[in-house]
Amino acid sequence: MRKFLALFVTCWLVLTPSLKAAEAIIVVANTSDKSLQLNRLQVRNLFMGGALPYDLDAIALPPENQTRVLFNTKVVGLTESRIQSYWAQMRFTGRKKAPREFSNEQSMLEYLINNAGAVGYLPEGISVPNELTVLYTVR
Amino acid sequence: MDLVVLRALVVCLSFTLSTSLANAATPNPLEFSGFARVIMGYLDDENAEYVGYDNSLSIDQQSLLGLQADYRLSEEIAFTGQVVGYTDDQRSSGLEWLYLTYTPNSALQVKLGRQRIPFFNHSDSLDVGFAYPWLTLPQQVYDTAFFSTFDGVLANYQFTLNDWQINYEGYWGRFDDEIHLDSQDLDTQVIGLFGVNASVSYRNFNLRASYGQGDIDIEQDEATQFAQLLRQFGFTNNADWLNANGLLQFYQLSANYEDLDYFLRSEVTKMTGAGGLFADIDSFYISAGYNFYPYTVYISYGRKDLHFEHLANEIPFGVSPELDLLAATYLGILDLFPDDESKGTKIGIRWDWQYNVALKAEMTFVEANDAISNDYAVRDLGGFDGHAVLYQFGLEWVF
Repeated sequence: MRKFLALFVTCWLVLTPSLKAAEAIIVVANTSDKSLQLNRLQVRNLFMGGALPYDLDAIALPPENQTRVLFNTKVVGLTESRIQSYWAQMRFTGRKKAPREFSNEQSMLEYLINNAGAVGYLPEGISVPNELTVLYTVR
Repeated sequence: MDLVVLRALVVCLSFTLSTSLANAATPNPLEFSGFARVIMGYLDDENAEYVGYDNSLSIDQQSLLGLQADYRLSEEIAFTGQVVGYTDDQRSSGLEWLYLTYTPNSALQVKLGRQRIPFFNHSDSLDVGFAYPWLTLPQQVYDTAFFSTFDGVLANYQFTLNDWQINYEGYWGRFDDEIHLDSQDLDTQVIGLFGVNASVSYRNFNLRASYGQGDIDIEQDEATQFAQLLRQFGFTNNADWLNANGLLQFYQLSANYEDLDYFLRSEVTKMTGAGGLFADIDSFYISAGYNFYPYTVYISYGRKDLHFEHLANEIPFGVSPELDLLAATYLGILDLFPDDESKGTKIGIRWDWQYNVALKAEMTFVEANDAISNDYAVRDLGGFDGHAVLYQFGLEWVF
């Protein structure tokens, strides 16, 4: 029994940091200003259609995507259902529309590279091309 | 009626599927979207009605279908139209929105045309049940705005200040349509309708305050004729009281908090009318909820306190039979406008079954005082003891 416990603890210690690394999210933009950095609230506002003094257009991943789930939890701080009902309210009061969604990280990355001002979120492990700037990282 | 709604839903579904497939490629300048509610309700009391529900199972009180088309002409200019079909015959189906939006930059938005009035937090999204946790909005507050659209201009300006999100909104216009009170349809005009509201958000907190006003003119021939008669006899104070017209004012304050696990929503509103036949209404609700995705459970308490400045009869009794008749008629009219107080306590659950479909179940415990004006959510059909429970199930859909 003790052996199992020791094995379990070892596995847990070994696996946790790697899981943590995989759970980190970066916010990446196609911007000419390479020194631009945002804080969590600015990122939240940007992806919830709020005002920001920069000319950036947020894009998103679909609701079932794991990176989106992490982004909702760590940055927005709301459940997916609350985010969906927020966007329903915004759309049907004519205020703003939800960010355009891309089917996966790869297609999001392609769009970011080709569109100035576009900003999206990706898992930290992904290799970020030179054209893009990491604005914010959350672990 | 239900069959019509069902048929419309099927048509919309097929059309949504085709448009969403089209949207996947490039953003289309023309976009269609919509919202639907199918709500079933039952009130456990045969002597009353609440939000139109009575002692039989009905589906045609709050069920509706809304369709919206947005056409983007350029980066700055877009057109929006929205039609809503109600199953409730108290509300007239048709065009709710038709406006042009001018967005010169990401901070400013100006809308011109027919739009919804943002009196309170949910006034402009009343029909989009998917957008709020409750099945039925707390009626003690949301019952008190008699008209929901206006023709005019609305401007919205948003900016940030040290991570605070600040939003100002102002509107100006007019309303000219029928309003429904106690199964009467009254021709109503509101001119000089204007309002301002401001909201600030910081982290998960949001505060909103608003003020609105308008000059209301309701066509009420009987009251006008009787007032003229009183004035001929010199009872001008009583004659003046018999008036629903004049300045109408709306005030609102709300505080909301929400995070991954909890939400707290509260709203206090006040409405005052200058004319005697227009009541002053103070109302509020407070609601707390717990999220365990994909479910949300909540409790809510709302209260409405409606009072008239009843003006005592100045017509002397016992002088002549004519004056007695006049006085009795005046007192009879006073009785038709009783102060009215009601409370609604809710418990409910929302299940986000799909990303765009939610199922809800809600129980509302209704409490009303003896006098019920029958102009609002609670109606006394005769012999109502002031206590009833409304059971509701509903499906909310956006597409």
